[in-house]
Amino acid sequence: MTVSSITTELIRGALTYASEEMGVALRNSAYSPNIRERMDHSCSIFDSKRRLVAQAEHIPVHLGSLPFAVNATLESFKETLEEGDAILVNDPFLAGTHLPDLTLIKPVFYREKLAGYVANKAHHSDIGGKSPGSMPSDSTDLREEGLIIEPVKLVRSEVVDDNVIKMITSNVRTPKITIGDLKAQIAANSMGERRLIDVIERYGVDVVQEAVEKAMTISEKRLRKALEEIPDGEFEAEDYLEDTGISDKPVLIKVKITKSNGSVKMDYSGTDQQVKAPVNAPLGVTVAGVYYTVKCITDPTIPTNDGFSRPIEIYAPRGSLLNPVFPAPVAGGNVETSQRNVDALLKAFAQIIPEKVCAGGQGTMNNVTVGGEESTGGRWSFYETIGGGMGASSEVDGADGVHVHMTNTMNTPIEAIETSYPIRLIKYELRADSGGPGKRRGGAGIERSWMLLANSATVSILAERNKIPPWGLNEGKQGALGEFFLLGSDGTRRKLNSKSSFGMTKGDVLMIRTPGGGGFGNPCERDPQLVLRDVLNGFVSIEAAKREYGVAVDLSSKEIDWKLTERLRKDNQQRYEQW
Amino acid sequence: METTRYRVSIDIGGTFTDLVALDEETGALTNVKVPSTPREPSDAVLNAMREFLWRAKPSEVASVTHATTIAVNALLGQLGLEIPRTALITTKGFRDVIEIGRQRRPELYNLSLQKPRPLIPRMYRYEVSERCGAKGEDIQKLDEEEVAKLGAVLKKENVKSVAIGFINSYVEPRHEEQAEKCLRRVYPDVYVTSSNRIAREHREYERISTAAVNACLMPIISSYTEELTNRLRNKAKIESTFMIMQSNGGIASSEVIAEKPVTVIESGPAAGVIAASFYSRLLGISNILSFDMGGTTAKAGTVREGLPEVTSEYEVGGKVHSGRIVKGSGYPIRFPFIDLSECGAGGGTIAWIDSGGGMQLGPMSAGADPGPACYGRGGDKPTVTDANVVLGRLNPKQLLSGRLKIRSDLAEKSIRKMICERTDLTLVEAATGIIRITVSEINKIMRIVSVERGIDPRDFTLIAFGGAGPMHACLLAEELSIGQVVVPLNPGLFSALGLIAADFVHHDSRPVLGKGSKEVGADLIEKLFVEMEEKTGKLLLREKVEKEHIVFERQLDARYLGQAYELRIPAMNPFSQEALKEAERSFHFTHKSIYGFCSEDEEVEIVNARVIARGIISKPSFPKRPKVYRDNPNDAIVSKRPVYMDEKSVTECPIYGRERLSAGDVLNGPAIVEQYDSTTVIFPGWICEVDEYGNLRVERRE
Repeated sequence: MTVSSITTELIRGALTYASEEMGVALRNSAYSPNIRERMDHSCSIFDSKRRLVAQAEHIPVHLGSLPFAVNATLESFKETLEEGDAILVNDPFLAGTHLPDLTLIKPVFYREKLAGYVANKAHHSDIGGKSPGSMPSDSTDLREEGLIIEPVKLVRSEVVDDNVIKMITSNVRTPKITIGDLKAQIAANSMGERRLIDVIERYGVDVVQEAVEKAMTISEKRLRKALEEIPDGEFEAEDYLEDTGISDKPVLIKVKITKSNGSVKMDYSGTDQQVKAPVNAPLGVTVAGVYYTVKCITDPTIPTNDGFSRPIEIYAPRGSLLNPVFPAPVAGGNVETSQRNVDALLKAFAQIIPEKVCAGGQGTMNNVTVGGEESTGGRWSFYETIGGGMGASSEVDGADGVHVHMTNTMNTPIEAIETSYPIRLIKYELRADSGGPGKRRGGAGIERSWMLLANSATVSILAERNKIPPWGLNEGKQGALGEFFLLGSDGTRRKLNSKSSFGMTKGDVLMIRTPGGGGFGNPCERDPQLVLRDVLNGFVSIEAAKREYGVAVDLSSKEIDWKLTERLRKDNQQRYEQW
Repeated sequence: METTRYRVSIDIGGTFTDLVALDEETGALTNVKVPSTPREPSDAVLNAMREFLWRAKPSEVASVTHATTIAVNALLGQLGLEIPRTALITTKGFRDVIEIGRQRRPELYNLSLQKPRPLIPRMYRYEVSERCGAKGEDIQKLDEEEVAKLGAVLKKENVKSVAIGFINSYVEPRHEEQAEKCLRRVYPDVYVTSSNRIAREHREYERISTAAVNACLMPIISSYTEELTNRLRNKAKIESTFMIMQSNGGIASSEVIAEKPVTVIESGPAAGVIAASFYSRLLGISNILSFDMGGTTAKAGTVREGLPEVTSEYEVGGKVHSGRIVKGSGYPIRFPFIDLSECGAGGGTIAWIDSGGGMQLGPMSAGADPGPACYGRGGDKPTVTDANVVLGRLNPKQLLSGRLKIRSDLAEKSIRKMICERTDLTLVEAATGIIRITVSEINKIMRIVSVERGIDPRDFTLIAFGGAGPMHACLLAEELSIGQVVVPLNPGLFSALGLIAADFVHHDSRPVLGKGSKEVGADLIEKLFVEMEEKTGKLLLREKVEKEHIVFERQLDARYLGQAYELRIPAMNPFSQEALKEAERSFHFTHKSIYGFCSEDEEVEIVNARVIARGIISKPSFPKRPKVYRDNPNDAIVSKRPVYMDEKSVTECPIYGRERLSAGDVLNGPAIVEQYDSTTVIFPGWICEVDEYGNLRVERRE
C-alpha cells in the first residue's frame, strides 16, 4: 500500500499540531514563570522506533536535545514499559541538557501494541544542589548541581508514584512549584497521547507509520537540496569560552565543517577536554547547536523530524567539552557553551556564505540566580536570563536587546518581580555605544540593575563575553564586552567575575551590562543618516560617531556636518588602507 | 412621522468599502460596494451612503455602525496616515521598556531578523524622577517641576500626543494622575493617555505599550470620527447616532472612541463572530463556532451561551503563525479582543509542491488580481477555488449570476502542471487533496479557539459564511465531529449583521492586591466592582443607553498561588464572602475542565476584577415564513452536473437555486445550493432543511 503525498501531509500536519497543543497545555497549567512566562519547554511526538515525528520547541536548545533524551533514556531503561507509565529523567548524559530540565517520556499504546512515544522537557525553577535555582557558577562536579534523576517511572498505569515525588520534593527548594509543574508535564503528555491515538484511529496504524516515514524522507530531501546550494569544501573555525569561573584559562572550541553535496559533517576534534567547571555541554546540547545553525542557513520551514538529521553528521570526542562524561558539571553548558558552539559554527560558515550568516551576537544568556530565606522561614529563589545585542548581517542591523541563537526566553516583568521577590529594579535600558560599528551596526546590549530589599541573599552569575568581545564580520567591528558590578550600600563598587557566586545585603545593587553584537561591513560605509538617527536616539555617542563612523553630527541643529564628515571619512579610509 | 426602517453598517476594507443595510420590514439586505479611498477614508463612506440614499431617505436610517481598519493602517505605516509626533513620559531608568519588550526575537531561525519599529522613537521617550513600590508606596515623589519643564520642551518639539506610563501605576495611579494634570496645565492642547486609565493591569511593558498605541492613534482617530460625523450630517443629512465597532465586539459612540481609539484596532474582523452571536440568540442555539472563509483567509471564533469569547492577549501588527500570534512581532495591547484565530486558507490561496515532493498550501494567494486560474485573468497557479471548480463543486461555467465567467479548462491545466506533473497524483486526487489540506488547516484554527480554550466542539453548531465558507462547512464539521451546520441566508453579507446587531460594550478592570484569598476580603472586591460599574455605566448613559437596558457582568482573574497564568471565572453580584467561596470552587472546576487537573488544597489567588458593561440595543427583527412541507422541492433544481464528492466517485448532482427554496424544503446530500455570492455543498450523509428565516440547517444523518 502506498500512502499519497496528501495523506502524508495531513498526518504530518495533525501530529505537528498535536505537539503544539501539548505545549499549550503544559504552558497554561504550569506554575513556574520559567515555563509560563519564559516558555522554557518543548514537546515532541516519536514513532515506535523512537524517531522524532514532530516537535514544538520554543527555544532552539531543545531542538536536538529532546530527541537525544528520548533515545538515550529508552536505550538505558531496562524495565518493561506498560500502558499508562511515564519515565522521568534529568541525567544530563541521557537527557541531553542540565539538571533543572526534567524530561518526561510516555509510551503510547494502541490496541496493546506500542504505537510511539510522547515526551516533554521543562526547565524547573529549582532541582536542589548547592545554590538556589540549581545553576551554580562554581560547581566542579555534577553532584553539586542538584538532584540527579536516573530514568525512573514517575507514573505507573496512570498512577503517580508518591515515593518518587517525595524523593524529589525533599531535595528541592520550592516543592509546591515543582509538583505543580510536574502535574503540568503529565497533563501535556496525556494530551499528546490522546491526539496520537486519534490520528491512528482515523487513518490506521499502517497508514500513519508509512506517512510518518514519508514525511521524514521529504524533510531529508528538502534539507539535502538546500545544502546542495552551499559551495562544497572544508572550513575550520575556533572560538573560546573566556574562562570557566574556576580557572582563568580560556577553553577552546574547534570545529571543522566538511560540506559535500547534500550533506554536511561537523568534526569537533581538537576541542579542549571537559573541564572541572560548570560549562561542559552534554552531547544533546552540541547537537542542538548544529541543528540550529543548519536550520538558519538553509530553510527554516523544513519540518523538524528524524529526516532532518540524516544529512548531518556530528563527531565530538568523548570526554571533551562538547561531549563530556560523568561527573562533569554541566549547569552552564546549554546556556553558555551552546552559544559559543554556534559562534564557532557561524564563523566557519562565514568563510563560504558570509551573506547568509551574522556577526557574533552577545554569545551568552547572562544567567542570574538569586535567592534567600523568607521571614516565614521558607526559601525564595529567582532566576532570569538577560538579552543583549544580536550580530549584524549583510542585510540588517543586529537587533537591540534580544536573546540570541540558542534561547529565546522572555524576561519576567518588573512588576511581577517586585510583587513576588524582595527586589527593586533601578534601571532597564539599552546600552549606548555597545553595538559593534559597521555598515550594519551590531545590536545594543542591555543594562539592568536591581537593589536587594531583603536582609541578605545569595547570588550566582554565569555569563560570558566579559573578556573576549563578540566578533565583527567583513570589516565590521566587535561589540562591547559585558560587565557585572556590585554597588554596595556603603558606596563601594566591585567588578565581578562573569562566573561567580557572592552574597548581597540589604541596599546593595547588582548592575548588569550585557554585551553588544558585532558589526557587519566597514563602518565608514554606513549611511550617515542612519548614524545621525543612532546619535539622536542615543545608541551611538557623538564621539563614537566621529571616531568609528567618520560622521560629524551637530547636536544643536540635529543635522550632519557634511563637510567635516567627508574629511573624516577620507582620513579613516586612508588610515585603514595604511593599516 | 416617518418610520425608520434601515439599519446601516459600513465596513472599510483594503480594496472596497461595503455598505450593508438591513430593511427591517422585509428582512432584505442591500449591499453597496464602492472603492476604498485610503488617503481619505471618509470619502468612500460618504460615496457609499450617497449611493444608498438613491433608494432610501435619510430620515429612514435608524442607525449607522461603522467598522474601520484606519487604526491598524496607521500603525502599519500607511501613506497618508502618518502618526503625528508622539512622546512617552516614564519612570527614570525605564525609557527602553517599550523597546526591549519581552526581549524575545520574533523569529527563531532568522539571522537577519528585524524587531518591530518602536512606535515612539527613543529620542521622544522622556524620563522623570518618581517611583512607586509594588504595594503602591511612594519611594520617590513625582517631581512636578520636572514635568512642567518637560511640558515646555514637548510644546517646542511640536509633540501632538503624549503617553504617560510609570512603573507600578497599576497599583497606585497617583503619580500618573499628577503628571497628567501638570502636563495639561502647561500644554493644554496636547492629547494625553495615562497607562492606568487605558489598561489598569500589571505587566509594565504590555500596559505602557497599550498607552503608547493609544497616544499614537488619538490625533488621527479623533479628527477622523469628527470629520465623518460632520460630513454624514451635513452632506448626507444623516441625523441618527453614529457608532463604531470595537475590538471587544461591542459598539461605542464616536465620541467615546475618540478618547480611547485603542479599542477599535480590530474593528472589522470581529463582526462575523458578533453576527454569529446574534444568530445564536435569534435561532436559540447557545453554543456556536463561527467559520468565515473569504478570498484570502479563514477565521474562527467561538460563541458560548450566546456571547462571543474574548481574549486580552493581542499584538497589533503582529505576525500570525499557524493561527497563533507570534509574540514579539507586533505591539501588544491589553484590551479585550474577540478571540479570533485566522489562517491563510481562502478561495485564492495557492497550492504547491515543495522540493521534497510534499504538498503545501499558501501562504501565497492569487488575491483578486490575477485571481484563481479559472478566472482567466492570467493566473496560472492552482488555488482552492480551482480545485473546487475541477471537482464540479463550484459552478464550472459562471459565478455571480453570470457576471464572472469561469474557465474550468484553465483550472484543470494549472493543477495538472503545478501538482500532477510533480507528483504521482491524478487530477481528481490532486484537487480533492488541495481541499483536504485546506480543511485541515482550518480545522487547526477552529481547534485553537475551542479545544485549546477547554471547549469541546462536539457540543457546538457550526455557522459557515463568507463566500467560500458554505462550500467547505460539511467537511470541516466532520473533522471537528460537529453534527449541525447553519448556512445563513446571505453568507457573503453575514458579517455585516454583526455590526447591525451589536450591543454597546465597555470593559474595565482593577488589580486585586494581596496574596491568596485569605488576605483579600470580599468587601474589597465588591468595592472594586461597584466602582467599575459606576464608571462604565456613566459611559453608557453618555451614549444615550436607557438605564434599564444596562447589564453588568462581573468576572475575576484567578490562579493558584505561585502560578503565573490566570483563568477567568464569573463572579456574583453582590460579591459576598459566600460569593468568594463560590468563585474559588468555580476556579477549581474550570482548571480541571481545561487542564485536566485541579489542586483543591492549594490557595487560590485573585489577580484582577473585571466588569463588562453592556448597553443592550433592540435587535433587528426578521420576517419568518411558515414552513410548507412540499413533497418535492424539485422545482428548485436549476440544473444537474457531475460532481466529485470524494476522489473515488463522481455523481450526477442536483443543483438548487437558493432563491427558489422555501421554508420547510428538505434536501438530501449529495446536493449543491447556488446563490449569487456563495455555494453550499451538502455532502453524502448530510441532510438539509430550510428554516423559517431561509437559513440552511444542515445535519449529519444518524
